[in-house]
Amino acid sequence: MSRLSTQALTLAYEDRTVVEELDLAVPDGEVTVIVGPNACGKSTTLRALGRLLKPKSGSVLLDGAELAKLPTKRIAQQIGLLPQTPVAPEAITVADLVSRGRQPHQHWWQQWSDEDERAVSEAMARTDVADLAERSVDELSGGQRQRVWIAMALAQETELLLLDEPTTYLDISHQVEVLDLVRQLNHDKGRTVVVVLHDLNQAARYADHLVAMKAGRVVAAGPPSEVVTASLVREVFGLDCVIVPDPVTGSPLVVPGAPWKAA
Amino acid sequence: MSTVKDRVPASVAVRPAGYSVLRAGHARFLVHRRAVAVASVLLVLLAASCVAYLCVGEAFVSPAEVVKVLLGRSSPDELVVEELRLPRLVVGLLVGLAFGVAGALIQTVARNPLASPDVIGISQGASALTVASMTLGITSYSVLPYLSVAGGLLAAALVYLFAWRGGLHATRFVLIGIGFAIALRSITTLFMTKGDYLVAQQAQIWMTGSLNGRGWPEAEVLAPILLVLVPALAWAARAQRTVSLDDDTATALGVRLGRVRLGLVALGVVLAAVATGAAGPVDFVALLAPQIARRMTRTAQIPLLSSALTGAVIVVLADLLARRLFSPTELPVGVLTAAVGAPYLIWLIIRSRSVGGTS
Repeated sequence: MSRLSTQALTLAYEDRTVVEELDLAVPDGEVTVIVGPNACGKSTTLRALGRLLKPKSGSVLLDGAELAKLPTKRIAQQIGLLPQTPVAPEAITVADLVSRGRQPHQHWWQQWSDEDERAVSEAMARTDVADLAERSVDELSGGQRQRVWIAMALAQETELLLLDEPTTYLDISHQVEVLDLVRQLNHDKGRTVVVVLHDLNQAARYADHLVAMKAGRVVAAGPPSEVVTASLVREVFGLDCVIVPDPVTGSPLVVPGAPWKAA
Repeated sequence: MSTVKDRVPASVAVRPAGYSVLRAGHARFLVHRRAVAVASVLLVLLAASCVAYLCVGEAFVSPAEVVKVLLGRSSPDELVVEELRLPRLVVGLLVGLAFGVAGALIQTVARNPLASPDVIGISQGASALTVASMTLGITSYSVLPYLSVAGGLLAAALVYLFAWRGGLHATRFVLIGIGFAIALRSITTLFMTKGDYLVAQQAQIWMTGSLNGRGWPEAEVLAPILLVLVPALAWAARAQRTVSLDDDTATALGVRLGRVRLGLVALGVVLAAVATGAAGPVDFVALLAPQIARRMTRTAQIPLLSSALTGAVIVVLADLLARRLFSPTELPVGVLTAAVGAPYLIWLIIRSRSVGGTS
């Protein structure tokens, strides 16, 4: 089953078509990772799934209804989205920022409920930023800041969570930390998560469902063990490689060839 | 801080530190404790400034007599206080409140502390139409304020239209506004050099922003408009919480960004235009007040109430000085606000992380 899907979705920035006739179904309760080379349209697709970009033609469907026709606040109660480079207001505290994730559940006469309080505390505890609650977001390290943004998206408490390259600008340990958190969320809460990543190995390791895109089209989709093959990597990334099982998880691990050594 | 907390017994500390929840029946409002404290202090300061304003002048009136007059008791100083000083004070007060909020709203949408109605062309639009009308022979003060409002709104609409490209880009909005401001200023200059000498002088004084000769007629226009807009400000204060985030995040939180921003800008423009209509463009008040207020409240967004009160304190004190500094010669209040505001603007530019930045 999939609550979120696209039908013949075509996306364009002004005249330049980026994604063409895309049919994609996001499996419920699973972690879907979209991968592909730079400018393949993966982030653009994610933006459309989160109604940040209006389709040029075709549609994004949420529970069978066209996303473009749903009230944006209703969408925000179902879909949370963390953009690639979110910007916090100057000098905002961590807890203040996280609490803004509750916006879609509030009204002007109901600005803070016990439910809000619980959701914010829980989101901060889960992302391990509770100790930073009163610190200013400006002073945090990249890894801490990314966890704070994820906490904000979690506080929104949506069934579906979309993350646009959440590991960019992070060092390897923080990258792993963020992705572990994503898996944990999916495991504990059964949340459906869609993540855009550019690291194929991370994608293969953390995805239940892997979508490989190239030039605005889906080249392959399915479990990583079926999708990640040497021929696919050559087709999508133009890279010669060997696939070996990841010694820890058993998922496919891409090891690039070494043409400079062969000669 | 504890004093504020004590006065609000129904409040409880909540997760975003520094906020309290005010309960009223089933409704619950999130209030920033420090912002409430700052606004209270500003209110006291404003009251003191107003009393001082009424005391000082050609003839000094004791604070006790001033309070007597304000309470409606008879006093030998009734004429000076009630007829001469009070009307002008009320206009200054209202103009200050309006400019303070206008600046706060426009800076919020532009996400730039340099954006304010006197930087992005709104005041210049008001000036251009007013001065043009003056040189064309329309000099009646019953018409000019409305022309000024129309000019401000028109300029704002043009800036908004030109800055719009599938969405409002904050930096483009400010830069196009600055461009319009320059163009409109030269149009104003053109009309002044074309016009009659006396008219040019009258226009010059109006353009500097002056409260001289302003009184109940202006106040009667300003007060109801401000009063009508108060509920809209409650909406605006809440909208600020999400508009101050980046576009994608705000949209993801279910905010109709296009509409909300247009609403905030429209509100700010109307306030600035109406204030300009009453007193001319009193430079830098809209720019200064929100920045000073925010530094005091230390909130993540610009506090509307504190901005309004700061604006009023600035205008009232500046006009007090303008009246007395070189007595018997009076300065236009705008000269004083500019004298303080211009260095502050330069300081802001020097210390900002990036002028075109989004924060």
